[in-house]
Amino acid sequence: MRDFLRSEIVLPMQMSHRGIGGGGRWIDPRMIDLVLYKTYADLRAEAAKTYVNYLWWVLDPILSMLVFYVVFGFIFHRGGEGYVPFLLTGLVAWTWYNQTLSHAGSTILNGKGLINQVYVPKLVFPLVTFLTDLTKFAVVLCVLLLFLLISGYSPSASWLALPLVLLTQLLLCMALGLVLAAIVPYLPDLKLLVGHLLHLQFFLSGVFYSANDIPEPYRFWFFLNPMASLIHDYHVILLKGGWPHWGRLTVIALLSLLVLTLATILIQRLDQVYPRLVRQA
Amino acid sequence: MNADRMQPLLSLDQVGLAFRSGGLSLRPQPPFWVLKDVSFTLHHGETLGVIGRNAAGKSTLMRLLAGIIKHDRGNFVNHGYTAALLSLQTGFVPYLTGRQNAILSGILLGLRRREVEAQMQAIIEFSELGDFIDAPLSTYSSGMRARLGFAVAYQVEPDILLIDEMLGVGDESFRTKSTEAMHARIRSDKTIVLVSHNAGTIRELCDRAVWIEEGVTRAVGPVDEVTATYRDELARRRKQTRSVRSR
Repeated sequence: MRDFLRSEIVLPMQMSHRGIGGGGRWIDPRMIDLVLYKTYADLRAEAAKTYVNYLWWVLDPILSMLVFYVVFGFIFHRGGEGYVPFLLTGLVAWTWYNQTLSHAGSTILNGKGLINQVYVPKLVFPLVTFLTDLTKFAVVLCVLLLFLLISGYSPSASWLALPLVLLTQLLLCMALGLVLAAIVPYLPDLKLLVGHLLHLQFFLSGVFYSANDIPEPYRFWFFLNPMASLIHDYHVILLKGGWPHWGRLTVIALLSLLVLTLATILIQRLDQVYPRLVRQA
Repeated sequence: MNADRMQPLLSLDQVGLAFRSGGLSLRPQPPFWVLKDVSFTLHHGETLGVIGRNAAGKSTLMRLLAGIIKHDRGNFVNHGYTAALLSLQTGFVPYLTGRQNAILSGILLGLRRREVEAQMQAIIEFSELGDFIDAPLSTYSSGMRARLGFAVAYQVEPDILLIDEMLGVGDESFRTKSTEAMHARIRSDKTIVLVSHNAGTIRELCDRAVWIEEGVTRAVGPVDEVTATYRDELARRRKQTRSVRSR
């Protein structure tokens, strides 16, 4: 009997199964179920809180665009031919980035009740937020494209590059979002800082002015901001029928992928540490 | 005794777990050891009772066994089994319907979506909710929520079921029904860890027991022996405080 006990193969901690996922396994079908259904539930729940429900997904960005249009079109007289489509294109892309990063930081913190009751892979929380924000963005993007078509912009061959730019932005959002989700439970102060940094980045990203207005010597520095580069690409593709800057696009995609991988590993490593952290917070 | 029964599912050897105050502080607080020295083995098919007074570290121990948190010292080995804490109304959202909440909660507790959907009829029947299942949770009474929560949690069958003080819920009649269901499951061949500060409950339902006091295992063994020692200790302490007071 003793020998039997001793010959028992002892699996390392990471191999132990628990609830959903189980430390070592990266893609668990139950985790996919959870991310998809929680996204669906969050979207439903959010819509149920208001009277006009899903209409807010469109209404909200339109109202914020209106504010910018009034400020920059009327007050600063930046208007002129094609200014509205220009402004809207940049704003739609920026809003997606802004929303994702503002939400990402508190995702794991907000799950504190849940992660102390059951084992949940912590990656689920930021992933759900990415998906809800992506869904809302998809609706707004459709409205934007419709608006452009109505305003007389016709699709050109370069529109084929749009999915690549969108994918790159998704990678960028996820990479930075996961970094925030991983660090904010340790450093809640960061969340307050992020709001201000995003504000600063907005003014540096060429939403209400064109990248072409930047003097040549400063262009290089201007485009070090990935959002400036991506928004410029959107402008070129959608409004001018040109192709994106492939070099910058590749660099942003690869760097995002690298950061994304590192942040994922970090969150997986700290999987059983977060429940303790957020409990004290 | 057959070999199957002796097969260890979880092994703990001098396990310790500490909480530290978070954030950057000028004067770091020393860690607080909730569990200091916990050792026992959980075997296949047994019902193990964990007994101890409040703040003995029982709930922390359960969260460790469920894989929610990790220990800081000693050895804890899960020999490859699923372990889950029986938790009710997990992830319930007031704006969703009972059905949607049941699916979400079921997935969180470890089921696949289609598994919950396949068991939906059983959930509706057990919870006695009927057509209310498609009404938003915000319209439910607390009794209805408790019934739905229990019915969902009851569908989840991990290899090791961890139960923390919770046996029956809801109003009078549902409490009887859910307690009976729980007792039936505990008496079955399932492997269960049951936490209680009530020695009577432990003695009634468990084969073996572990007594934990201030994060240290004081006794492990047959349920009658352990509960008797625990009871003696409680009586001794009560006498002690009484004599201190009378002094």
